[in-house]
Amino acid sequence: MSEHTSTTNGHGDHGHGDHGHSGHHVIPQAKLLQTFFVLMGLMIATVVAARLPYEGGVKGIPSAIAWLVLLGIAFWKAGLVVQIFMGVKYSTKLTKLYAYGGFFWVTLLGVTLFDYATRQLEPVQGWEPVAESALPR
Amino acid sequence: MPEVYPQFEDIDQQQETYIVGMWAFLVNEVMFFGPLFFIYGLYAWKHNAVFYVTSHHLDYKIGALNTTILLISSWMVAMAVHYHQKNQLKKVCNMLWGAAVCGTLFLAIKLIFEWAPKFSHGLFPNPGFQSRYLAYYGADTNVDVARLFFSMYFAITGLHALHVLIGVLIFVWLIRLIKKRPDVITDYVPTEMVGLYWHFVDLVWIFLFPLFYLMPK
Repeated sequence: MSEHTSTTNGHGDHGHGDHGHSGHHVIPQAKLLQTFFVLMGLMIATVVAARLPYEGGVKGIPSAIAWLVLLGIAFWKAGLVVQIFMGVKYSTKLTKLYAYGGFFWVTLLGVTLFDYATRQLEPVQGWEPVAESALPR
Repeated sequence: MPEVYPQFEDIDQQQETYIVGMWAFLVNEVMFFGPLFFIYGLYAWKHNAVFYVTSHHLDYKIGALNTTILLISSWMVAMAVHYHQKNQLKKVCNMLWGAAVCGTLFLAIKLIFEWAPKFSHGLFPNPGFQSRYLAYYGADTNVDVARLFFSMYFAITGLHALHVLIGVLIFVWLIRLIKKRPDVITDYVPTEMVGLYWHFVDLVWIFLFPLFYLMPK
């Protein structure tokens, strides 16, 4: 055991809030409430954005924008939950590595979808598409 | 104050280890739900028009209500951690009870207003799906692909609901431990870990809501 007695973690933000008995960051009530209201606002924004009439615009572009808006808001909300509610913003570097690493890893996994986007299906005997079904085999 | 075990230098390092361990579990969960979202995204992209029509058979108002309930519960759990860090145990239990009620309400709304009508109309993956769908909605879209949509809807929201149920049970268990076993719950870390799990459940729903209920054409 070393003589190291100071906190081993790297608290990100000491600018506001107070600290619990063990020195960990206590996220202030006001910050949590503010985050909740922002999340509610974003939820309402998602619903409003989705109910806007996108049909009838330039073919292809409006729906792509709608997807971007909806997923953009979802990622924004997710970011707030991870950073504030889950406290990753105020956590140690090691915790950050695990938290962000997981989301980065799943993004890498999503790269496998390029296979579907860039290659043709090559049906083998017995796996031809069934005429009456629209499902890919 | 909790005991510092000999393998740790101090209490901060010990607590960090618990939190990192919980995140390692949550990374597993991310890898579990992630591919489900990818599969859904792939088919939504391939069959966009059909998924758009079929997704409108889900009520976005119920989805929005359930989103609100989960957001409230997430805030309550964050408050529970806040109070536990300040050692205000009564408030911790109140917040955890609130979150447990929200989780139960979420499940009740999903079961009574969403799944039950779909099941009674035969709109779940089953051999008679085609005829039931045509009888109920008419030939408004490709029924094979509509079945694919509902298969994924029940699979993904079902797995999410299972996580909500587990979360509610853990809340009740944690409240019991806080009240009866102060020798076990010596600091805020157990509440923090349960909170991390619950926020993850909320996180999954944040993506499920727009993808299933608010799908653009």
